[in-house]
Amino acid sequence: MADLAGILGADRLSDECGTPILTPRDAAEVSTLLEAASKTGLALVVRGGGTKTNWRPEPTRCDAILSTAALVGIVDRQPGDMTLVAQAGTPLAALQAAVTGDATHHQRLMLDGVGGEHATLGGILATRAAGPRRQRYGTPRDIVIGARYVTGDGLAAKTGGTVVKNVAGYDVAKLLIGSQGSLAVITEVSLKLHPVPDAARTVILQTTAVAAVTDFVAAVRTAPITATVFDVRWPDGVVAVRIESTPDGAAAQIDLLGGFAALEELSSEAGNALLEEHLAFPFSGAGAVLGVGVRPEHLGTLLTAIAAAGGLFVGRATLVAGDIVLPDLDPERITQLVQAVRDMGGNVQARRGVETHRLATGAAAPGVASVEAAIKQQLDPAGVLV
Amino acid sequence: MAETTGALAVATQARAIVGPDWVVTDAAQLRVYECDGLTNHRIVPGAVVLPGSTEQVAAVVRLCHEHHVPFVARGAGSGLSGGALPTEDGIVIGLSRLREVLDLDAPNQRVRVQPGVTNLRVSEVAAPHGLYYAPDPSSQQVCTIGGNLAENAGGAHCLKYGFTVNHVLTATVVLSDGTIVELGSEAPDAPGLDLLGVLIGSEGTVGIVTEALLNLLPKPEHVETLVAMFPSTETAGDAVSAIIAEGVVPAAVEMMDRLAIDAAKTQTPITWDTEAALIVELDGPANEVRSQFEAINAICKRCGADAVQVAASPEERLTIWRARKSAFAAVGQLSPAYLVQDGVIPRTRLPEVLNGIRALADEAGLRVANVFHAGDGNLHPLVLYDNAVAGEQAKAEAIAMRIVELCVDFGGSITGEHGVGIEKVCSMPKMFTGDDLTAFDRVRAAFDPVGLCNPGKLLPTPRLCGEVPGFYHTHRVETAGLGERM
Ligand SMILES: Cc1cc2nc3c(=O)[nH]c(=O)nc-3n(C[C@H](O)[C@H](O)[C@H](O)COP(=O)(O)OP(=O)(O)OC[C@H]3O[C@@H](n4cnc5c(N)ncnc54)[C@H](O)[C@@H]3O)c2cc1C
Repeated sequence: MADLAGILGADRLSDECGTPILTPRDAAEVSTLLEAASKTGLALVVRGGGTKTNWRPEPTRCDAILSTAALVGIVDRQPGDMTLVAQAGTPLAALQAAVTGDATHHQRLMLDGVGGEHATLGGILATRAAGPRRQRYGTPRDIVIGARYVTGDGLAAKTGGTVVKNVAGYDVAKLLIGSQGSLAVITEVSLKLHPVPDAARTVILQTTAVAAVTDFVAAVRTAPITATVFDVRWPDGVVAVRIESTPDGAAAQIDLLGGFAALEELSSEAGNALLEEHLAFPFSGAGAVLGVGVRPEHLGTLLTAIAAAGGLFVGRATLVAGDIVLPDLDPERITQLVQAVRDMGGNVQARRGVETHRLATGAAAPGVASVEAAIKQQLDPAGVLV
Repeated sequence: MAETTGALAVATQARAIVGPDWVVTDAAQLRVYECDGLTNHRIVPGAVVLPGSTEQVAAVVRLCHEHHVPFVARGAGSGLSGGALPTEDGIVIGLSRLREVLDLDAPNQRVRVQPGVTNLRVSEVAAPHGLYYAPDPSSQQVCTIGGNLAENAGGAHCLKYGFTVNHVLTATVVLSDGTIVELGSEAPDAPGLDLLGVLIGSEGTVGIVTEALLNLLPKPEHVETLVAMFPSTETAGDAVSAIIAEGVVPAAVEMMDRLAIDAAKTQTPITWDTEAALIVELDGPANEVRSQFEAINAICKRCGADAVQVAASPEERLTIWRARKSAFAAVGQLSPAYLVQDGVIPRTRLPEVLNGIRALADEAGLRVANVFHAGDGNLHPLVLYDNAVAGEQAKAEAIAMRIVELCVDFGGSITGEHGVGIEKVCSMPKMFTGDDLTAFDRVRAAFDPVGLCNPGKLLPTPRLCGEVPGFYHTHRVETAGLGERM
């Protein structure tokens, strides 16, 4: 550890409950650190804003935390090309504010900043975090166009680029997104930006009948409607649709939606508040949190299963993907829900609760597991990144 | 009989797996497989095997693995970077027999297909349900879904809808040792690494796709298409920037210069007489499209368009797209031979780069036609030459390479959709450092440690490119004296 601190200088080393925190200033320092750590057999945990450290199981060992807190700032922004390059430790909220704050260009960065103001770009990628607006804009995998990263043994490399279309080389960013910091340290990210539409309107359907929800969702799904948010909150019984378009485009879609069910339109403030509430949902309450994804046809079954297990759900209506908060950490209920989702052929990922991780972590198929192990071996041969 | 080795041994044993009719070793027949759309590279393979199922593909790949014989998957062979170019001692695994649409699940808006199904067929089977498959490469009538996954194929409409990678849910893949894996998930947010995301665009070097589950979209309610005639490619390029700045995301923004238009005229009944035509299409909810379409019409005029033609009927729209999609092939009417180039630039730099390309062409005394995806900065300069004139092909190849290098100089990429293949392996170091390439090589090794799966493609090799930077670099710590390599 003294060696690692020596590389950075004493001021880049702090301490948290006995675990040293290393704060490299740039990718070159990250590279030097990782290379040294792999030679000495140290185990490091990468940390961004620390808002989703419990989205992964507790590391079995951790000699030090590698913090991206000093890797901050916008590297390049090209409004005309609608692209942005930023360092990975930059808080997403700050990036979004910088982009939206530029009133002349009317652009925005459509990664959903779940996790609050401290969530960093790198952390959002590593956890593959996404929120309500993935309905229209997708997840980090659809918005990231390139990245710089440092492999576990210190190789500083680039994948993709800064143009919106590019197929040169392997898309390593896809591997890094969702890798929980286990393959490499992401140091810089290139992103696509989107225009801010002129009008935003939100309508809600309130019903506690599962069939009413699934009928409405099915009707909207095949209708000429481009929703930015299409969320279900359950068992509260709220389906929310946020339309963002030209003013008359939004008006026509809101009219169309009204033909499918009796809806209530929210004020602009209430619509924005609902979006914020849904962004914050996986961090709300106490107890276990599970991320779930099922095939579209299973929405109704999922809602029923969640209610039966005493859970609360906020998720995307047609994808179907979202989060379940289980107010207590009752292992039986967690197991029951995990099983129900798996029976539907769906996916479960633990977000909060040590017990939740133990119960919800499944094994990858044998062939897939060996490729995953081979990738880990190739990118982090000494197993530094835990 | 003496024991055969290599490709011939695999071919002999493969007969028992796929049936004798589906193994090609006859010299004349093998020549069918000697190249893909990059016809200036040709190699006759050792043998061709045409499996009829995932299991057969896996068994043939296992044979290759046992005999240490390289193999390359082949779809329609429409690739333009030599991705499906065989090796002399290797096997071509053709997927042309696997062309069933397995399951159309309209309520869930997805379709499961075999890899040999053509891109267009997917939209055709989805059409009766009001659905379509968004990625639409110009070669969609012939190119296959397997090839599309391998190249992460795009198309005119990927400006708004994204590329192949944004529309595939799962893929069944035979890895280089014959293991069959299912990548991706039918439901969102699968735990684990996004191996499907790496497979797509890996140019056949990661494994062979034998089945794919594709996402379908509802057909847009309303579509509007216009062609704006500009006095120069510069003014048309300015219009592209202005459209983007307006905050509208059209479904497609395509540009054709005079030479490309002249070529298209030989195939389609268009009357455009202009230096540069910009095709802009908007789709989506009707009211939104109508108001944005007016705005775009105004922008084109403001940026100097002499005339704007709006497609008044679906037939007129079809004619416009026929002209655009036939342009590559039509250039064959203007020149005995031509090279198709594929590079990307930041879309705000279109005018400068188009001028740069013209300067390069003039200097070489060759003609270059431009027909491309302007909205996302993806250029397709077509370098025209006469292969009967000694040295002209080499000159054309040199110009084509300098054009992509120009793209890199402007902060772009050497390929937007056609892939690196064999054609651009030696240009990879222009865009990537030795360390970048080493990291790519490690990813490849994770999937294919022995190096049998489409070897020689995508990454530079010393054999083709001479000394390649990277791969065996010295670590920083080593040079700093902080550590030693074992
Ligand atoms: C006129 C013309 C226009 C074109 N327009 C476009 C365009 O607009 N957009 C675009 O993206 N491309 C375009 N292309 C390029 C080409 O059509 C695409 O790259 C297409 O995806 C290739 O599909 P294919 O079936 O022909 O593949 P092939 O050429 O047979 O193979 C291409 C690569 O894919 C690999 N491969 C094939 N099948 C499989 C499989 N089942 N599993 C794993 N690997 C496999 C091969 O090994 C090879 O590396 C165009 C080509 C032509 C000739």
